[in-house]
Amino acid sequence: MTMNGSSSPAPVEVAPPPRHRPPWPSGLQANGSLGLGVLAAIGLLVWVGVNGYKQTLLVTAATYALIALGMYVPFVLAGSLSLAYGAYASIGGYAVALISTETGLPLWFGWLIGPVIAAVAAVVLGLATRRLSGFYLVAVTLLFSEAFQNYLSNASFTGGNAGLASFRSLDVFGWHPSNEQLIIASAAVVCVVAFLLNRLRLSPWGIVVRSMREVPSAVEAAGTRVPILNLVALAMGAGIGALAGALFTQMSGSIQPNTFTLNLVFLAIFMPIIGGTGTPWGAVLGALIVVELTLNLPSLHTSGTLLVSLGVLLIMLVAPRGVLGYLDTGRKELMRALTPTKGTDG
Amino acid sequence: MADQPLLLEGSGLKKRYGGVVALSDVSIRLAPGEILGLVGPNGAGKTTLVDCISGTQSANSGVLTLKGARLSGPASRRAKLGLARTFQYPQLAQDLTVGENLLLGRVAMQHGSWWRMILQSIRGTFWVGRSSDATVVEAIAEELQITRLDRLAGDLTLGEQRLLEVGRALGQDPVVLLLDEPFAGSDANGVAGIIDVIRTVQRRGHGIILVDHNVDLVSSLVDRIMLLDRGQVVFDGDPAQCIASPEMQRVYFGAAALEAGADSEIRPDDEVLRHVP
Repeated sequence: MTMNGSSSPAPVEVAPPPRHRPPWPSGLQANGSLGLGVLAAIGLLVWVGVNGYKQTLLVTAATYALIALGMYVPFVLAGSLSLAYGAYASIGGYAVALISTETGLPLWFGWLIGPVIAAVAAVVLGLATRRLSGFYLVAVTLLFSEAFQNYLSNASFTGGNAGLASFRSLDVFGWHPSNEQLIIASAAVVCVVAFLLNRLRLSPWGIVVRSMREVPSAVEAAGTRVPILNLVALAMGAGIGALAGALFTQMSGSIQPNTFTLNLVFLAIFMPIIGGTGTPWGAVLGALIVVELTLNLPSLHTSGTLLVSLGVLLIMLVAPRGVLGYLDTGRKELMRALTPTKGTDG
Repeated sequence: MADQPLLLEGSGLKKRYGGVVALSDVSIRLAPGEILGLVGPNGAGKTTLVDCISGTQSANSGVLTLKGARLSGPASRRAKLGLARTFQYPQLAQDLTVGENLLLGRVAMQHGSWWRMILQSIRGTFWVGRSSDATVVEAIAEELQITRLDRLAGDLTLGEQRLLEVGRALGQDPVVLLLDEPFAGSDANGVAGIIDVIRTVQRRGHGIILVDHNVDLVSSLVDRIMLLDRGQVVFDGDPAQCIASPEMQRVYFGAAALEAGADSEIRPDDEVLRHVP
């Protein structure tokens, strides 16, 4: 390793511990993020308890977090901004609602088919704009989102503006989870998705996708079909967004065309920025902060969104890598201060 | 070498941007183990030729073959046939680490089609392990004396970035390596490192196309030189002959230098040639 032949005494070579990953990941390290995430989730669940209002709050936060995680893949990793997440979440929600009210099929089928349909929609929208710059993807997905909401209001099978309600209770292969169990499951789903996305981020797939955002020509020249990988990233994000819609619809017991609005999508863009773009957990943290500011602080109830906007501006100035990035830098500084300097023998 | 089949063969390559002809009817050939130098003044079409071979841009017409297989379509397809390249302006993901940038060259080809992308995403999510690719990449880094793979690529000097790009291209196990000005901005160490790599690739029987402004450096390295001027090949042959050729003097110093003839003070080993624009 030492190629400059410095004059420091030869360091004692210690065999590095076996690693699961190459010791050079970028962004925030994955070490212990699942543990911290689960701990935070358990803390939240304890805080929520059996309080109905807090349960609704947690489900909303989980939904926001999933939408933010869905956007994380194409937006933060691949660099493609899609604004159709209101539509994707609606697709997921209506899939669960329609399977429940119109068919005798098992409910999990609705959870499965929604993300698939949303992924197909994302691919179609991506294909339509594949030869154009990213701006057109934003414009087309925005148009689609609004048109789709309009369609949901006017179509008869969706129940029009009133939407759909009174679903069957979830039946997972004979197991009928209680409401409390479902609340725990909601938090668990978010943790699982964040955990898997973080592994995905650090995997070869993640490296190719993140490189694609910055240097598409180099990625293409190295052997990856960039336009197709972009579609795959968009589809994956849409699928997770649909999962968010399914979760919220299942838990709230109803869905309307305006359940998932553009306002939510705009907030979701900033959730990773608030929490930290270096890891998907940042999107989850950002969702929690946004829910706390916009829904849970009664004194701020009307000005919550304004506060979020100001908070985003402040965070961009003070901590451009988000709250988690800020904390990570602090942790590293602390470790450096606490670790005795290497290379001094005795 | 002569009776060996050519690695890369191209003919009738044309490329125009609007009304500007960047390449007009260029032919190129590369034998196994051969290093071909591409020189010429700014705007001669060197980078356009490299782009048209690698597929970064598509030529308006012309035929290219690599080991007898037709080279066409997007760059990713050509990469799978064994083409790797570096860029005139290093194309590195600045937010990714040196190691990750190196690994890109190794793993990008595993994402060549949509179903492989999906398989790879599932694999990356559920299967975490130290891949053989990481080991290969670390060996390449050692060979190129690239240290501290956990640095961000954006923090590297220009010379280090060029070295890293060469390393990324090596990870592709290329049959033909296209190097677009690999020495620009490098210090002596970087130049030596890249020359070592070029020699190694050559020994493996692969071909290299080297673009550079530094005619002296190029001619000392390559087996053959192609001189481009305004999209046309004006000289193709031995490096020493190329430097002494009237075409060389005309292209770089204009007709006046040519007319000055033998009395001209311009000589191949002149200081001025070493810094040709």
